[in-house]
Amino acid sequence: MNPAPVPPALAVAVIVGGLGLGAWVFVLLDRAATDLVSGRRPSVRPLAPLRRASFLLVQQRAETERPDRAVWMLAPALYVALAAVGAAVVPWSARLAPADVPVGIVLWGGVEALAIVAVFLHGWSANAPVALVGAYRFVALGLCFMLVSMFVLIAAALPAESLRLSAIVASQRGLWNVVRQPLGLPLFLFVGLGLTFRGPLDFADSADLAGGVAAEVSGPSLLVWETGRAAMAVAFSAMAAAVFLGGWLGPWLPGPVWLGLKTLFVMALMAGLGRSTARLRTESAVTLVWVGLLPLSFLGLAVVGLEVLR
Amino acid sequence: MTLHTLLLVAALLVGIGVYGALSQQSIVMLMMGLELLLNGLLLAAGALWALAADFTPRGQLLAIVIMAVMAVEMAVGFAVVVAVYRQRRVDTTEGLDTLRG
Amino acid sequence: MTGADLAFWTLAAIAVITGWRVFRTDSMVRATFFLLTSFVAVGAILLLLAASYLGFALIFMMAVEMTVMALFMVMYMMNPAGLNPMNMIHQPGTAVAAGVGVGAVLAAVALWVPFPHSAAAVPPSDPIAALGHELLGGSMLVFESAGVTLLAAMIGSVVLSSRAGRYGAADEGSLPPGLEPGGEPAGRRPAPADGGHTHMHMGDGTGGHMDMAMDRGGGDGSGDHDHGGHAAPGEGPA
Repeated sequence: MNPAPVPPALAVAVIVGGLGLGAWVFVLLDRAATDLVSGRRPSVRPLAPLRRASFLLVQQRAETERPDRAVWMLAPALYVALAAVGAAVVPWSARLAPADVPVGIVLWGGVEALAIVAVFLHGWSANAPVALVGAYRFVALGLCFMLVSMFVLIAAALPAESLRLSAIVASQRGLWNVVRQPLGLPLFLFVGLGLTFRGPLDFADSADLAGGVAAEVSGPSLLVWETGRAAMAVAFSAMAAAVFLGGWLGPWLPGPVWLGLKTLFVMALMAGLGRSTARLRTESAVTLVWVGLLPLSFLGLAVVGLEVLR
Repeated sequence: MTLHTLLLVAALLVGIGVYGALSQQSIVMLMMGLELLLNGLLLAAGALWALAADFTPRGQLLAIVIMAVMAVEMAVGFAVVVAVYRQRRVDTTEGLDTLRG
Repeated sequence: MTGADLAFWTLAAIAVITGWRVFRTDSMVRATFFLLTSFVAVGAILLLLAASYLGFALIFMMAVEMTVMALFMVMYMMNPAGLNPMNMIHQPGTAVAAGVGVGAVLAAVALWVPFPHSAAAVPPSDPIAALGHELLGGSMLVFESAGVTLLAAMIGSVVLSSRAGRYGAADEGSLPPGLEPGGEPAGRRPAPADGGHTHMHMGDGTGGHMDMAMDRGGGDGSGDHDHGGHAAPGEGPA
């Protein structure tokens, strides 16, 4: 009944390859969204991200005075690794799942929490004021929207009566969670925008901080950081597709293809929302989350609970 | 991974935690020693649940209570540090000596 | 040695060594995240013991707690990045003796007490469901009490650290009113270490109660209650 685990080598290859490809597609979607918002025609230049990647690979690495060098190298790698771990929990089909742990929801919560740690360490270890401000702003929000994500995911786990992601996907056979739990996907998208710091929660490495957390970074570290941001967006989109849009469920086409299409849809949503919404002030964002979104997530949880009990 | 080796590791963690709690001047570092102590305790509880109690579900409850204690201690401890600092501008245990005889 | 044993010994070594490094490193933020590493290692050991919910919940909870603790470290410690070496240890002999003593006693208990052995037990097929049934079934009282305790802790910590103190804003000391109108604030003040002669300096913030006394409008003209006989240098706030 539970999906069989995929051989580890194949799982690692598919996840790494999928995240790399997905990150590339996400950067293209992001640029297209920027063009649309600016009123230009979206010009899809597929080789542009690769050109930037090769430029960053050979760029000289910037230095600051007395950074915490080990942590500075470790933090972006940790962020990318967390994106991979988060993406590994998503089941590919009814019979295949790379790592279907019995507590997939809690693992995703752990991934979010450790992602906050990774961003804080990245900003702290540079020993530079702008980076530290970016890290602090992000942590202030991160601790808030993590709670929202937990309640939203628990509400999605209620109809499935299990914390396992494959059971949650299977419970959407009759009705997708986006319909059964209408507040779920919008709140989860807000959390995703915060997790990848775009849109209204673009606090960590934003333009208004002259680069913030990534201000003192250049060269291969910057490449890893930007890849990590896009990869986390891909992993988050896969998670949202599995939990709210039915994952691999769908007629005619095989399961993994449906999962890929739904992930692509959520990625486009995230890119569009990320570029078309304005950045909030940190104080306003914190107030919004604690006073507005957290009670809304409680309400969503209560509604789903009442329906399950009926 | 026998019960004895797990409990030995837990004993080491508790010992390091006691050393940390007694030797640090800063209140925040002292709390980190206490957290390490509870860490060792949690490992011991988990080990006993798995290897001495036949995986009874009630054993996991002890671990959950220890985690709740960790959370409570940290929350109230930080609040006390903040309140004490506002009143007296000290954050080391040396500064909290009003009850000293 | 099986794979699980190898994983256990690696994780146990990581937990103990990073736990030790917490108290031996100069950088406070690194100390916090060493502690987080120790917790993650213990959580991974719990995963090896088939307590998957406990392991992941521990990692989740401790990541958030250690982030908050790192923020507090940076707030309160004078050397959070460890750029200068420092030593903030007191009573080292007692602490080492106590740590070694407690560790030795517990290690003796761990190695020589005959615990009930359940060698043939296998993990239940669905430990999460079993835990859920237990939490909301037989151990509902424990669960609810933990919930109420957490609520009390939340309310208590918000009250303790709120800026609106009992008698005024906490940033200004929040002193109680005087016993007679216009008198000194009631309540004990901590005695200054050197008899108070350094309090001749006005307005440079030496000692918290100095600022508080000067900031409280009202008739608190002689800001220093310690200098009963001296001419009060500050004539109260302008």
